[in-house]
Amino acid sequence: MSEWFRVFRQGLGIENPLTVLMIGLCATLAVSTQFQNALFMGLAVIFVLVMSNVLISVFRKAIPSEVRIPIFIVVIASFVTIVDLVMKAFVPSVYGVLGIWIPLIVVNCVILGRAEAFAYHNEVGLSIADGLGMGIGYSTVIVLLAVIRELLGTGKIIWFDSTLISLPAGYAPPSLFLLFPGAFLVFAFMIVGARWINERTEARKEGPACRV
Amino acid sequence: MSSVGQLALLFIGAALINNILLTRFIGLCPFFGVSSNMETSIGMSLSVIFVMVMASTATWVAWEFILAPLGVGEFLYIPAFILIIASLVQFVEMYLRKASPVLYRAMGIYLPLITTNCAVLATATEAAKPGFFKMNIALGASLGLGEALVYTLGVSVGFGFALITFAALRERLELAPVSRLMKGTPIAFITAGLLSLAYVGMSGWFGL
Repeated sequence: MSEWFRVFRQGLGIENPLTVLMIGLCATLAVSTQFQNALFMGLAVIFVLVMSNVLISVFRKAIPSEVRIPIFIVVIASFVTIVDLVMKAFVPSVYGVLGIWIPLIVVNCVILGRAEAFAYHNEVGLSIADGLGMGIGYSTVIVLLAVIRELLGTGKIIWFDSTLISLPAGYAPPSLFLLFPGAFLVFAFMIVGARWINERTEARKEGPACRV
Repeated sequence: MSSVGQLALLFIGAALINNILLTRFIGLCPFFGVSSNMETSIGMSLSVIFVMVMASTATWVAWEFILAPLGVGEFLYIPAFILIIASLVQFVEMYLRKASPVLYRAMGIYLPLITTNCAVLATATEAAKPGFFKMNIALGASLGLGEALVYTLGVSVGFGFALITFAALRERLELAPVSRLMKGTPIAFITAGLLSLAYVGMSGWFGL
């Protein structure tokens, strides 16, 4: 069980896919304009990541290593199609905004990366831990990024039709934070924050940048 | 068939105004992964132009003649397109190794990486199923093969242009004094933010 928690915790901190490994950035920066979208994106990624990890881990001995990448991609694509259709049916307003990014989860390197680096070599229990840890680590960062951008860029945080938090009336929101440059700038400072935290806990590990 | 002027607008819109890297956030992994070196980013850019044009042609043909007539496109396009792209890239790699060692040496190592690049999947899907990704509002309901190719060429040239500019900036940044926590990726993100600010300034040109 302690091994399970060790694997689980790695995704949250020292091997966080976004702030340390820097993989799967495209979707993160694009959908983090609203707290609501970011939360649904995070849930979609957690679902696909855990399910594909489980399936690949179960069949890891049956998958020949020469054709493993196409097999991984087909497995991932099937779960992504499930998410795509479910979201289109039940939360159409969110799907309208996320639209493009749901199909693109297929080529999100977080998921393919975990299938290749972890699920293909480890048993099912640990693969679930890895999927959950990485998924929650991913979601935490994307939601935090969205909260900062939405709060600074619009002055309030919206959940469907209701306003959750709003800044004082005198605040004039600079829309820069909602635009593309804002995403890069806020994320740069989030990496600095994550580095600082990891350095404090003295567990910082040099992660490779995504080469995909 | 569109006029030359329309095609030129399509190209400029795809390359600059709706630049896939800096205004759409698509394909950011190679943008940060290979941009620390000028030479690799040139190799990557050429490979992306090559693969994207091939992939768009293939997905366009698959959509027009197989997926759409059979009525299965709506729920099969994701696995279908990614499989087409993955196998196409594999074939191109094998062919290049045999047929053109010079080209293979220049692009070989980037080809497998490009398979899972979301820029290629996004552009190939957009070219085959226009309007789906809302990547370029100037696109009509559906594109002819010629227009799809011009669009893809525009996207990939825009990709290369942004990647090479960014690599040039990062090479100079290496020599600059940057504080310890900021060194490396964070300062690269801030640079990308400023670069993307320049691209955002172009939005609205020609009503695109």
